Formats: sequence, structure tokens, C-alpha cells
Amino acid sequence: MKHILIYPFCLIAAILFHGCEMLDEFNESPLYNFEACWKILDENYCFFEYKQIDWDAVHDKYVYQINESTNEQELFQLLSSMTQELQDGHVNVISKYFYSTYDGWFQNHPSNFNWGVMQNYYWSGEYAGDYNEIRYCRLGDNEQVGYIYYGSFSESILESELNKMFDTFKECKGLIIDVRDNGGGSLTNSDRFASRFFDKKTLCGYIQHKTGKGHQDFSNPYPLYLEPSHGDLWLKPVIILTNRRCFSATNNFVSKMKVLSNVQTLGGSTGGGSGFPFTSELPNGWRIRFSTSPILDVNKQHTEFGIEPDIPVTLSSDDTEKGRDTLIETAIQILLSADSSTL
Amino acid sequence: MKKIIGYVWMCLVSFPLYAQFNNEENPRGMNEGTLAGFGTSIVKDTYLSPFTYTGWGARIFNERMTLLRNPLFSRQQIISVDISSTRNPAENVSDFGAFVDYTFAYHRRIPAGTNLRLMPGAFAHLMGGFIYNTRNGNNPLSAKADIDLGLSAIALYTFNIRTSSIILRYQVEFPLGGIFFSPPYKSSYYEIFNEGNTSNIIALNSFHNKAALRNYLTIDIPVHRSTLRLGYLNCLYYSNTNYLETRILSNTFMLGWVKQFVLK
Repeated sequence: MKHILIYPFCLIAAILFHGCEMLDEFNESPLYNFEACWKILDENYCFFEYKQIDWDAVHDKYVYQINESTNEQELFQLLSSMTQELQDGHVNVISKYFYSTYDGWFQNHPSNFNWGVMQNYYWSGEYAGDYNEIRYCRLGDNEQVGYIYYGSFSESILESELNKMFDTFKECKGLIIDVRDNGGGSLTNSDRFASRFFDKKTLCGYIQHKTGKGHQDFSNPYPLYLEPSHGDLWLKPVIILTNRRCFSATNNFVSKMKVLSNVQTLGGSTGGGSGFPFTSELPNGWRIRFSTSPILDVNKQHTEFGIEPDIPVTLSSDDTEKGRDTLIETAIQILLSADSSTL
Repeated sequence: MKKIIGYVWMCLVSFPLYAQFNNEENPRGMNEGTLAGFGTSIVKDTYLSPFTYTGWGARIFNERMTLLRNPLFSRQQIISVDISSTRNPAENVSDFGAFVDYTFAYHRRIPAGTNLRLMPGAFAHLMGGFIYNTRNGNNPLSAKADIDLGLSAIALYTFNIRTSSIILRYQVEFPLGGIFFSPPYKSSYYEIFNEGNTSNIIALNSFHNKAALRNYLTIDIPVHRSTLRLGYLNCLYYSNTNYLETRILSNTFMLGWVKQFVLK
């Protein structure tokens, strides 16, 4: 009888011992963390092929710069430099004290936005209102143009607030949506806002995801539709003001809105950032973020490097000195002109 | 081999059929134990992190063992709710897990000596829950949902200390196959649930991509007119599909009471 009872205990002990094998040790070895970082990106990052990046060559370029005497700050700098080879604002290494990010997507581009000047319009406009990152008013002659500044899609907005806002614009001929310097946020928030401009279910783009660890392992593009909101809709002409700092969810918003015939974009190219980012971690506890799912436009094209405007306009320094926003003024003129009927 | 396959088939098919059609299903007695306990938890889910998180877990465990009128068979129902809190190796991120399990099993009672009874059987198992990572942005959660059929075995050993009759029980369960939820490698929950791309999110499972084992050891000690139950539960769960690996190991020490019912 004793022998019979011993077997279960042996089985339990074996399982417990097996569990001990699962434990991963905390590891601060610079080389170990470098290899872990490289491997996580190698198996998960989604734009290697599109950007024609030889990730093995990147490994060889940096691995020789690291050894066991590399300190924490040097390791961070090295990982930061390596990840910037991906030219992606969605790739970040985050330690306890440092945050690395690629800013090449907006550096060396005109800002096309002056916050102080924009405020002049907002505060002088009639029917001004604001809700979190959204400010809105009516501009132009007889306040016939609605103006919305949406500063971040990290901020959600209630349907009731959207109804209130669109009710303000019901007598307007056209609407300006200003998303300059909106660095993105939640796709749910941007989709909720965009759904106010669609009167039927509309194909707006596609999404893919990685199906394996290879650089070319992708699912078939899956169609993304936007359905109209149950609240007040805006179906009159729209001009979206963009600049290079329109990134991520904002880039996606612009991509989706461009399928509408009554929408035009004005200003500068958006900043891109069309990969849906995931988060993982390194053995030393640092966080790493990277793009894993490309979101394509309605023509199945990447928008990772940005979307060119329909009407390129640059902020004039003369206008700025006079407290005028060149983009807003141009948009008002177009919306109030007869040409707006062609939008 | 054919005998083994035949036995498995009998367990999976004949017991539920027996329960459904035999009028001797009407029970004659039930034993209900409710236990609560704490223990250790080890979690690895590569959808969230490539590393293993360790910490503690707590569980509430309710078990009903019904002796059917045909004394050859008994029915077991288990509802288990467990939560866990675990930390990564660097101790700067937490995972929180919560799972609900329901097991429905039939066992055949086979006397094997004066004090020993062996009970082979089969079970159906439902499990749902999630692991939540406190630091991840767009992939903060890994949802779990499993439906399994499997085998179970119980050994009951009764012995006396003075005038008290003590029951020692060991039970082991493992699934043979079923289905479970698993997102395709790096498919986001935004794509699955917001945009409705549900293709390839359900996987068939068997030994090639999933293994699970539940070891359950209890001792029932009469205390006055009640029965005290001390329990140890070891649960091991492993799955590997769509290049995503999940390992969950928990060891829980539990304490509770057993109630006996005589049913007419």
C-alpha cells in the first residue's frame, strides 16, 4: 500500500521540479540584453521588407560595440541607436530613467503649426467650446465655417459632446478639422470621431498581422470598415489640416477620411506611423515597443512614411507675424468659395 | 493499444450516455467540499512577455461528489475560481490572472482491497479567464478559453486513527483533446474584437499543442459532527500554438469543510 501512495507524490515532485526549469533569471548582461532586444524585433517587427532593412547587418554593426564592461547608459544608447535604424516612431526602448524614440519622421520638416496663432482663432471665434483635447468654434464671414481642433486621440469624447459640437455647426457651409501636432492615441477614439462623417458602411483600409516569426509571415489584408455614427452626421465639405506631426492614429484618421469625396487634406505631409505597436520586455526589465501589424490604406498601400496632402500649403512667416494661420485662412477661403462645391 | 483506445472511448462516450438514459442516475448521496487556499503561481505567456513571472495565487474550490444509485458510478462536479499576482524576473512589472474552471466527471468505482477504492473516469472541462500585464500598451491582456474532454482517476484510501475514520484521496486529471482560443501570433485584440477578424482564433488541441495536468490530494478528518478537509492542488497548463506559448503552474494548499447529504 505504501508503494501505491508513493507514486502520486513522486509525480507531484516531478511536476514541481519541471516548474523550476521554467523560471527565467533576471539578467543584466549587456550582451544578453542586446541579443534579446535584437531577437524580439527580428521575430516581431513588421516593416523589415517594406523598408528594405537588413536586420542581420544591423546586428553585426552593433554587436561589436558591446562587451561585458558596457555600462547601463552605454547599453541604452546602443539599443537606442540600433532601434533607430528601423526609422519608426513606434519603436521605443524604455528604461527606468531613459526613453528612446525615433524623431526623424518630423525633424527637418516645416512645423506648419503655431499653437499661439491657432489660439487666436479659437478664442476669437463665435460659439467657442472645448472638451478635453477638442476645441471648436465658428470662423469666417458670418461664421459660416466650423472649426475643430483635435489635439490628441488619447482623449475620448462622449457621443453627447459630439452631438453638441455638430449642432453648433449646423448652419455652416463647411468644416475645418485641424489635427496638426496630434501625435495619435487610440484608434477607437479616432474611429468614433471619423464615424460622424460617413453616411453608410464604407471600406477605409486594411490591416495585416504577423502570423509567424519570419520577416514575410503576414496574414492576408483584412478589410477595415467604418460605419456611420447613430448621432449627428456631417456630410458637407471638410478640409483636414495636417502637418508632419500627425502620427499613428492621426495618420490612420487622415487615411480613412480621404476615402470620402467631400474631404480634402491641406497643409503638409502626415508623419506616418501605420504599424500597430505591441510591447515586450528585455531580461533586465526594460520595456520595448515595436510595430507588429501594418495598417494599409484603401488601395492596400503602406502609409508608414506619411500621407501627402491634397493641397500643399506651408505656414507663412509673414502671416504668423500678423497672427494669421496660413492654413486656416486658405481652408476658409476654399470652403467659402464656389470651388468648395467641388469638394 | 487497441484496448487503451477502447477504454478511452468507453470513458468519453458511455459514461455520459449512462448518465443520460439510465434511471439509476438518481443519486443516493452527495459529498460537498468547499475549500479556500493560497499558494504559488508561475506564469509565462509569450503574447505578453517572453519571460516567466512568479508570485502567489489564491483559490476557492467547490467539489460535489455524488454517489449514484448504481453504486458502480459516481459523478463529480468541480467549480474552481483562482486569481494570481506574479512579477517578472526584474521585479518591475506585474501580471494579474483570473480563471474560472468547471469540471464535470463520471467515475467508475472499483474496490481494490479492504480500504482502497480506485475510480477511473472521464471528464468534460470548461475554463475561461485572462492574464493582464500592467505595463503593456496595445497587448495588455491574454484571454483564455478552453473546452476539453479528458481522463480522470481517483484513489481513495480509508484508515482509522482511534475511532476516527480518515479518508485520503488522490486524483489526477489530464485532457485528451478539445478546442481553445488563441490569437494568431501577433494579431491584436483590436483586430479581433473591434474589427471582427475572428479567423484562426480557435484551435483544436491535443497532445501536440497542449498539455494540462491537475493533481489533487486531500485528507478528510472528522471533527465532532463535521469533516475537515485539507487539500493540496497542483495545476499545470501548457499550450503552444501559433508560435505563442503559455505555461501556468500553480500549487495551492487549501482548507475547508465537507458536508454530507443523503438524497432520497
